[in-house]
Amino acid sequence: MSSARRLGTIVAHELRLARHDPVSIMVLLVFPVITIAFLKPAFRPALVEGGFTHANGAEHVVPGQAVMSAFFIVSLVTFSFFSEHGWATWDRLRASRATSFEIIAGKSLPRIAIGIAQLGVLLIAGVVLFGLHIRGNGFALVPLIVTFSVCLVLLGVAVTALCRTAQEAGAFAYLGMVLFGAIGGAFVPFDLLPAWARAIAPLTPTYWAMRGMRSVVLDGQGLGGVGLPCAALAGMGIVFAFVARRRLRFDETKSGWA
Amino acid sequence: MAQLRRQARVPSQPPATTTTPTPPPALDVRGVRKSYGATVALDGVDLVVEPGTIVGLLGRNGAGKTSLVSVVAGLLRPDAGRVLVDGVDIAHEPRRARALIGLAPQDTGVYLPLSVRDNLRFFGGLSDLHGRERATRIEEVGAALMLDELMDRRARDLSGGERRRLHTAIAVLHRPRLVLLDEPTTGADVQTRRELLRLVTNLSREGSAVVYSTHYLQEIEELGAGVALIDHGRIVARGALDELIRQYGSSALELSFTGAVPPAANVAGSRVTGTTVRIATDDPAATAALVLGGLGAGASSLCSMEIVRPTLESVFTTLTGQRLSREVEPAA
Ligand SMILES: Nc1ncnc2c1ncn2[C@@H]1O[C@H](COP(=O)(O)OP(=O)(O)OP(=O)(O)O)[C@@H](O)[C@H]1O
Ligand SMILES: [Mg+2]
Repeated sequence: MSSARRLGTIVAHELRLARHDPVSIMVLLVFPVITIAFLKPAFRPALVEGGFTHANGAEHVVPGQAVMSAFFIVSLVTFSFFSEHGWATWDRLRASRATSFEIIAGKSLPRIAIGIAQLGVLLIAGVVLFGLHIRGNGFALVPLIVTFSVCLVLLGVAVTALCRTAQEAGAFAYLGMVLFGAIGGAFVPFDLLPAWARAIAPLTPTYWAMRGMRSVVLDGQGLGGVGLPCAALAGMGIVFAFVARRRLRFDETKSGWA
Repeated sequence: MAQLRRQARVPSQPPATTTTPTPPPALDVRGVRKSYGATVALDGVDLVVEPGTIVGLLGRNGAGKTSLVSVVAGLLRPDAGRVLVDGVDIAHEPRRARALIGLAPQDTGVYLPLSVRDNLRFFGGLSDLHGRERATRIEEVGAALMLDELMDRRARDLSGGERRRLHTAIAVLHRPRLVLLDEPTTGADVQTRRELLRLVTNLSREGSAVVYSTHYLQEIEELGAGVALIDHGRIVARGALDELIRQYGSSALELSFTGAVPPAANVAGSRVTGTTVRIATDDPAATAALVLGGLGAGASSLCSMEIVRPTLESVFTTLTGQRLSREVEPAA
């Protein structure tokens, strides 16, 4: 009971801190909208050539840019830990009644919600602004978006556990966004990737998110199309959680920024 | 009935007549050791602090004050020894023990983007304070530390001293049984210092035990606190201020003259600086009588005489062979 209440206290606190961070909203929402506007026409031919004759390019670019920019959630998670070190509040948290589970869950839940909201808003914006046509059952995307967001947040906790400085974590998260985005087929469609990239793509969360999106948006599938991707993302999430559990040391002094 | 029971708890009563066991100390540290690699930070620390008392933890830079506070707060695991807070072992029941502690670490730790009130509300919530109770406590602590006018100001926009007050307020919000303040007056001006010292005094009156680490002897003297002198990771002296001073402090007699110090004043244990002579002595009054008698005609050039009472500083010097405060050392 008091544990649930403390968790609620931490969640509300994290959301309050997130409100003071308008730059993240820019990165999560404004940037992808701009890149979608620019990239949409460029990818139409590739889709048409692939047999989707009515495609306008949004079918790849909207999910692709949404998935890529969602990776910023990883940075948000690492920031939320490292800024505690920058503000010197980490020791206060540790010395409080909150358990390490409450602290981690309290930081994770709001960012999972942010990830879900961001992906949802971008897909809706895709439909409204960019003529994105979802052939299958759009609600099938909900479990995909949720598992992908959870997976990214757990990756963020794992990255935090593995890095000692905020700079390291920032570089790690950025590299992950670009590399995973490219290899996973969020930037260039999977079919156009070089063979080596296609071979390792299933190791990235991006690949599974894109595969699920594609099966609903382009191939017209429903829940059946997202089952395997969701399972793969959940599996990766478990691996990240395991890494975090093994490596996260609460008494480590990290160098953060405020 | 209740009165009878309270009387029965007076410590001088033999245990057979006590109906309730004596309460455990607020803090009971035994044999605590902590090394960072080759650096021994704590070298077997024992420290007992009773409820309602203040202990000034006094030591030079690197003496081990922060390490000790961190071990007590459960932030640092000791290599050996144990820590009981109100009888609760911090190693076995860390969450129960932590609920009894209020910590203000050496580094100011507040959420810079949030307002003073939001900072207090968050930490209050973490201590399971909610609703009216929390609001009342925030008012009380805010008033005690002159934060009431600043409640809606973002912590980022506070001055260093104001931030320090918020930092301390967070530690005492939940009326902890044991308050750990690690150099609370760092960067504080005269008024902030006074308010902090008053807060500490009030906390102890309300029954909390306070461990107060500092470099400033004067603060301990003002608080009338008990003293724990720490040096190289060991508590080298522990006791009431006046007791320690009586035991280890050295007193002196200081005479100033309008001209050169007459040779008659140059007795054993004296040191002449310009026109002043300082005579180290255990009994300044007797020495004064002796020296004045011996001065004869030289007494005409005497312009002042002072009995220099022993201070905590001299206790520290006696026990560690070093001075505590750098500012009183002659410039190199
Ligand atoms: N994380 C650490 N790693 C290595 N050595 C450390 C660490 N923290 C403290 N030390 C060393 O342990 C000793 C005690 O440090 P501590 O911080 O407890 O001293 P302190 O009395 O609080 O000093 P100050 O008055 O400067 O705050 C010092 O020699 C210090 O260099
Ligand atoms: Mg210190």
